[in-house]
Amino acid sequence: MSSTETLPRDLLVAVDIGGTFTDITLQDAATGEAWTAKTPSTPADPSQAFLTGVKLVLDTAGRAADGIGRVLHGTTVATNLILEGKGATTALITTAGFRHVLEIGRQDIPRSANLYSWIKPARPVPPAHVFEVAERIAADGSVLVALDEDSLQRAIAACRAIGVQAVAVCLLHAFTNPAHEQRVAAALRAALPDIAVTASTEVLPVVREYERSLAAILNAQVMPAVSTYVGRLEARLAEEKIAAPLLLMKSNGGVAGAAAIRRAPAVTALSGPAAGVVGARAIAAAAGFPDIITVDIGGTSADICLMKSGEISLTQKGKVGDWPLPLPMVDMVTIGAGGGSLARVTPAGALAVGPQSAGATPGPACYGRGGRQATVTDAHVVLGHLPPSLLGGRMQLDVAAAAQALEENAATPLGLSLEAAARGILAIADSNMVGAVRVVSVERGHDPRDFALVPFGGAGPLHGCALADLLGIRTVLVPSSPGVLCAQGLLAADLKAEFSRSLHNAAAPALEAIDAAYAGLEAEALAWFAEEEVPDAARATRRMALLRYAGQGGELAVAWAGDMPATASGFAAQHRALYGFDLPDAAVELVTLRLEATGALAGRITTTLPEGKGAQPVGQHAVRFPDGEQQAALYDRTTLGAGDRFAGPAIVTQLDATTLVPPGWMGEMHGSGALILRRKPTGGEDR
Amino acid sequence: MDSLAPRRCDAVTLEILRGAIRAAQAEMEALIERTAMSAFIREKKDFYTAVFDADGVMAVGSNVPVFGDIAGPVFKHFPAAEMGPGDLYWYSDCYESRGAVSHSNDQVFLAPVFLEGRRVGFVMGWAHFADIGGLRPGSISPDTTDIFQEGIIIPPTRLIRAGEVNTAALEIFYRNSRYPRLSRGDTRALMASVELGVARLGEIAARFGADVLSDALSQLLARTEATVREHLKKTFAVGTHRFTDRIDSDGHGNGPFRIRLALTRTEDDRFILDATETDDQSPGPVNFLMNPDVPGMALGLSFLGGDPTQVVNAGCSRALDEVRLREGSLLQPRFPAPLGMRGLTMMRLLAALNGLVAVAGGKAPAAHSAYVIILLRGSAGGKNFLMSDGIGVGYGARPDADGIDAVYFVAQENYPVEFLELEYPVRLRHYALNRDSGGAGRFRGGCGVVREYEVMADEAMLAVRIDGVQNPPWGADGGLAAGPGRVTVNPGTAREQVLNPLSDGNRLKRGDVLRIETGGGGGRGHPYDRPAALVLQDVLGGMVGAEAAARDYGVVLRDDAVDAEATAARRADRPATLAFHRGSYTNVLD
Repeated sequence: MSSTETLPRDLLVAVDIGGTFTDITLQDAATGEAWTAKTPSTPADPSQAFLTGVKLVLDTAGRAADGIGRVLHGTTVATNLILEGKGATTALITTAGFRHVLEIGRQDIPRSANLYSWIKPARPVPPAHVFEVAERIAADGSVLVALDEDSLQRAIAACRAIGVQAVAVCLLHAFTNPAHEQRVAAALRAALPDIAVTASTEVLPVVREYERSLAAILNAQVMPAVSTYVGRLEARLAEEKIAAPLLLMKSNGGVAGAAAIRRAPAVTALSGPAAGVVGARAIAAAAGFPDIITVDIGGTSADICLMKSGEISLTQKGKVGDWPLPLPMVDMVTIGAGGGSLARVTPAGALAVGPQSAGATPGPACYGRGGRQATVTDAHVVLGHLPPSLLGGRMQLDVAAAAQALEENAATPLGLSLEAAARGILAIADSNMVGAVRVVSVERGHDPRDFALVPFGGAGPLHGCALADLLGIRTVLVPSSPGVLCAQGLLAADLKAEFSRSLHNAAAPALEAIDAAYAGLEAEALAWFAEEEVPDAARATRRMALLRYAGQGGELAVAWAGDMPATASGFAAQHRALYGFDLPDAAVELVTLRLEATGALAGRITTTLPEGKGAQPVGQHAVRFPDGEQQAALYDRTTLGAGDRFAGPAIVTQLDATTLVPPGWMGEMHGSGALILRRKPTGGEDR
Repeated sequence: MDSLAPRRCDAVTLEILRGAIRAAQAEMEALIERTAMSAFIREKKDFYTAVFDADGVMAVGSNVPVFGDIAGPVFKHFPAAEMGPGDLYWYSDCYESRGAVSHSNDQVFLAPVFLEGRRVGFVMGWAHFADIGGLRPGSISPDTTDIFQEGIIIPPTRLIRAGEVNTAALEIFYRNSRYPRLSRGDTRALMASVELGVARLGEIAARFGADVLSDALSQLLARTEATVREHLKKTFAVGTHRFTDRIDSDGHGNGPFRIRLALTRTEDDRFILDATETDDQSPGPVNFLMNPDVPGMALGLSFLGGDPTQVVNAGCSRALDEVRLREGSLLQPRFPAPLGMRGLTMMRLLAALNGLVAVAGGKAPAAHSAYVIILLRGSAGGKNFLMSDGIGVGYGARPDADGIDAVYFVAQENYPVEFLELEYPVRLRHYALNRDSGGAGRFRGGCGVVREYEVMADEAMLAVRIDGVQNPPWGADGGLAAGPGRVTVNPGTAREQVLNPLSDGNRLKRGDVLRIETGGGGGRGHPYDRPAALVLQDVLGGMVGAEAAARDYGVVLRDDAVDAEATAARRADRPATLAFHRGSYTNVLD
């Protein structure tokens, strides 16, 4: 095979496979030039569209396959398998005496649930597929009961007998001493070579057996499908003589090589929204905005994330469907509000919007595919926010169907006018999103007014200014391709991994022990850098510490400041900012050390927009604003150049999204390609 | 912008406001969860929040049907009109609050919210404190005989006046705890949470205006009341419906105690709940000082079901026109009767209310077990410890679904095995579903739990609370009663000893094995109607034993599969059933 010889391999390819279309972006890292292509997705074998798209974009750009240096991809294979409960048939091996670890779970009826009607969700592994091995490790890591070989062989035989495709292993206290777990995993791999095996500590070496068991199970369960999927992509690339590494998006906003993903596919389970966030960060940085709040509004949900100084925070409180999955993920809030969210009037007379959605089929009533229920998009259509012709004329909206759906499902039952009902639906959807913005901002000690709002996703730019008005935000940044920001995110992502270790003596850890632990984590990071072939100059690590006041249940992540007192004072400051108080007399515990490793990848978004010749409307459209109907100027985004300015009311159309600019807002095209909307400084200070 | 005329809240604004209040509540809860210090609050999550209107009526509560009139007791001492911004009120006084708080460990923090000098509402933070003094560590104990043995009592107190904290009151409170550090941390977390809630509700009031907020809250109350009333009418025909349920004992050799409920719908559609025929109060601490708002809350919650747009609030209580209680009874004991173990009576009351719905032909679950709690106190390595471990039980089968296996109660989580062993001197040997504890039925009752500890402490004293051992949770509509719980020390050895399921002062020493088995929920519908495939799954999953499958369900298994022929033969001879089952079938439980 060709190696890195003479040819410069500056081309990056990003592939984003959606339900309907596969979007491909090719970028020349040397010049910043970019090309895009679109091809219908091939759900039966997504690698077909993957390859078709790559070839298509190469043709468009007139470049050769051997110029490709990296292939970047985000996959929702793992996410969908987990959400739909369609992963591989999986068994769990657990410590004797604890076979119902999944059934019991955390023993609670959720706080938001009604005890009379709540049904415990069926676990991803039924209790009949949980097998026990006789062994026991104590809390301090010592071996109380040696691993019993007979029970291990019986468990292996049981796995074989029920014909599982995957096995997860989670033994008590393995996060302190993984020896038994490793032995069981090795025996399984030897005895059942065709079966996916995951030991809990390979995925999540932290305390709490239920959550760790789930992480191991979800990982094992998606492993066969993800492995097959990644294998197919690699084979397709090889067919086309593309020797570039395949990198996949992780939930933490970074990418990792295919080998690492095959081992721990669960790290992709929350990666869907992460790529967009990384893309938004790159676009905002190019336009000079390091402090942003992103709102990614799709068909069924909205993902909201805050970045201060371009920093993406991580959380380990993520969930996939019903299941907690405490792997590091981009800290964002997801709510069930999107363009397809259904509006309905409850029997008690309340107007509710979402979380049910019209989905892709039938979709909103205005799409004319048989949808009869009212959606958020239909409300936009009724108010004139969306011109009746979309996708450059390829799609006509059925305004009458939208009006009828709203009339029947909202206006008539509530005794409201059609316009008031439409405005009400949007107000509720906006309010839900504002609530989520508050969670990431106000609740974490930030004032949203200090941030620029970056709306994206197909429906984002319709809501951007309305959300900004509700939040007191004065600047809205609409990316050049708000509907396909994932690709931008893939191109802008770095290689990222986290390495963690829990400490045994959290109350009084010795500095030497801490340093030794960090050194151990750094050795792990080094091995990872080598595997991912990260050059020395591109390597960076950061020491983080997770602290709490003795007795508290949740930790805060702060940068390790070299010693405990300095780190603890950083913790106290953050505790004050987040919760409004600190406890000077209380002991601070250091619970977990975390090393964040980054391998910087070249290739930044450097799109430059040609100088504009003054914004010229391509038409106008009547919009019903709260203060009355006005004619909004229609702009075609492809005709706008750098420096072009226009005033609201206006509607900016492009293939992948529509931007609504209400009266009182000004638009200006930034040289980076972003559309910057600013609220006119005059009057209207309240609301 | 606001005009001076009072403004109504329209349907859209109401929904937005409801969402904003729910968000504020979630934020308050998250703060408590992240910052509280006792495991009771942070792991077990025994805390709640609520929002009240300007008159102190609960407008947005939680999904826990045990709340009474929270604000009333404060107003008695501190008239609402004299309250000001920055005030914070605090109490845990059961008798003074008529059971709004029903054991002294529960601390209530309540603060008024003002907008431009006008009182627009209240917010509450509430949590169970691990130890507030009293006879035994943990403060609640089956041994108590009056409420003074159950720890310090905080009468309604103005803890903060216009921003100035009454630190002396706090210091007295902390000094009365065996674990003052936890007490201090938890108090701080609760206070911060209420402060946050005050800020949030204030912002909401400023955003929408005081009139709109006030109208919104009264609409939420009216909406809930109307919905619950509608359900009451649908469920209960005109006339009187009766149901009786029992608890085993008060831990002092007395019992059983009967809870006798009668719900009357009058010709003019008034609903009256009469509990006056309930047995006399107990010498031991199983008295449940029931606030008159509680039965309405519980019935309301069951009627509102899983609809997320519905709000649980005082509208539930208002749907009952009258609640009659008899002073001196188990549900309305005279001061200073002990209350610490009232949880089991409260849970039995919820089951009895289900029973009322069931006798009227409504869709209620069969009975559940009362959640189980053990307190283990002692010393290990020279340090004292207090482990309060809440253990899940089985809930009753529903008319259209199985009962829930192994849950404690709403929002309250277990201590993970790994957490427990890191934190306390115990080692778990076994933690699993309690096989055959779920009552058989077309829909199976939930299974209880087996939790077996090895004591690693030098010495320890155990308090345990398990009810439903003599009188297990009933089954309905042909379903069988649940299996009971029990407590054993050193099971299967020569030193095996079965403990009184409601007792304290049990001495344990290093190496002793303590086995707790908890009860399940009753079944619903004829067990022979349960599809054999489901019974097989239950057997393979360890919820039902093969013997019980044959005996109760008529399903015969061979080699991990259903023996169709033998099953058909067995099921051909179908036992007759009656409305309820506890020990045997009966149409009326007493």
